[in-house]
Amino acid sequence: MNKVIIINLNGNAYQLEENGYEALRAYLDSAGRRLEANPDKDEIIADIEQAIADKFRAMLGPNKTVVAAKEVEAVIAEMGPVQDASDTTQAEGRAAPAPGVPEAPQPAAAPRRLFKIRDGAMIGGVCNGLAAYLDIDVTIVRVLFAILAFTYGAGVLLYILMMLILPSANTTADKTAAYGAPPTAQEFIRRAKAGYYEGMKTFGDRQARREWKRKFKQEMRGWKRDFQREVHQGAHQFHHFWSQNWHPPAGAWIAISVLTFLCVIITLLGIASVISLLATGAVFGIHLVGIPTWAGVIILIIGFQMLTWPVRAMRHGFYYGGGPVYAGPFVHLWNSLFWLALVVLALWYANHHSTEVHEALRQIRPELHRAFDSVRQWLDKQ
Amino acid sequence: MHINEKFTPIRKGLLEFLVLKVVSADKVYVADILGQLSGTEFATQEGTLYPLLSKMRREELVDYEWKESDAGPPRKYYELTAKGREQLRETSDYWQKIIETVKSLGQKPQQLGKEPAP
Repeated sequence: MNKVIIINLNGNAYQLEENGYEALRAYLDSAGRRLEANPDKDEIIADIEQAIADKFRAMLGPNKTVVAAKEVEAVIAEMGPVQDASDTTQAEGRAAPAPGVPEAPQPAAAPRRLFKIRDGAMIGGVCNGLAAYLDIDVTIVRVLFAILAFTYGAGVLLYILMMLILPSANTTADKTAAYGAPPTAQEFIRRAKAGYYEGMKTFGDRQARREWKRKFKQEMRGWKRDFQREVHQGAHQFHHFWSQNWHPPAGAWIAISVLTFLCVIITLLGIASVISLLATGAVFGIHLVGIPTWAGVIILIIGFQMLTWPVRAMRHGFYYGGGPVYAGPFVHLWNSLFWLALVVLALWYANHHSTEVHEALRQIRPELHRAFDSVRQWLDKQ
Repeated sequence: MHINEKFTPIRKGLLEFLVLKVVSADKVYVADILGQLSGTEFATQEGTLYPLLSKMRREELVDYEWKESDAGPPRKYYELTAKGREQLRETSDYWQKIIETVKSLGQKPQQLGKEPAP
């Protein structure tokens, strides 16, 4: 009596005897290692899995549902060892490479340098460059910057500083140095897939996956709680100081109306951008490369929250009376102004240095019209 | 047996040429190619053929399309590209030259055999 293991070969389930499973896994692992440098590795592995699946299917029938270990070994012998055709230098139609020139990229061999990388950048390419330098996913870097932006705009400040300081990777050689590897699309895809499979391996069994999910959720809940508490405390202190310590100046109502106007404009812009993202898959003509739409919406909402927060806070300050006895409110007011100035500066810089942003800013008006039109049409229908 | 081993690298190197020839006749899938080669000296296996076809596709010598099959999942049917046909023509010419060279090399002394022996 033998234990049976169910495997998934290119989308079909097969039951193998345990020894057969071990042999098949060893075969596919060794195939994967031999094709490590092959840009089409995943496709070849899928083809081979498909061929093995075809052979298994031919063996099985209504009265035979399990592939025996011996049969697995016969199939593997029939398949033959996987040989990477790219490594054979005697192939026709191609000049044999000079001896001693390795074709496979050598990871971590080349020293990396920190650059801005404009290809696929959202703003200035700082996150892209950092991600390449640290060899992690660019989305993670972006999220980190977004979180940093919450802490009194540190992320924004850091971003602008790095944007001004870092050199741009313009030449191929620069990009190679930024990634420490040849910057071909195939290489990136290969890396991405390699990372994906590595990640999947750690979640081999359902128990581990469930455990990981549980921990993740718990952590997220914890963060959310902390964050809410912080925000509540901050808001409370803020109101307290302003209501106690500051009298509105004579022209407060002008300031309030101006700030409200600003707030409304920003909010409308935010809504319009979300609508344009959902309707066209791009924010005012800028395609969010590598970000799913739902994440784009969340990022937009958070971004516009950040934009309106200082304005709202200032407006609030004008509502509540008090005298400038305590320095606190001024710190907060200064903070808000500083934040606003940073955002304006970032926009200005982007407007001048990125043709995409410039175009997007020019397109805002027709896009806004279009967004309003679609809302009006929707209302008419109701 | 000995000859068979000596020619292993040559057979390996010729495989791409032969695959080009097989694919040039008709749209085929991998099992067809294996079947046509199986009776010959160039019998090969999936483990060799899939990486080779993938490399040839990368070099734009062949292309494939998915076709439904009567039994089982859809299959990849391969066909030659214009570049592949060009390469097949060049390789055939070259192969012809090699055959002639091989033939003529041994016969040279016989053709010039009128020289008197010292």
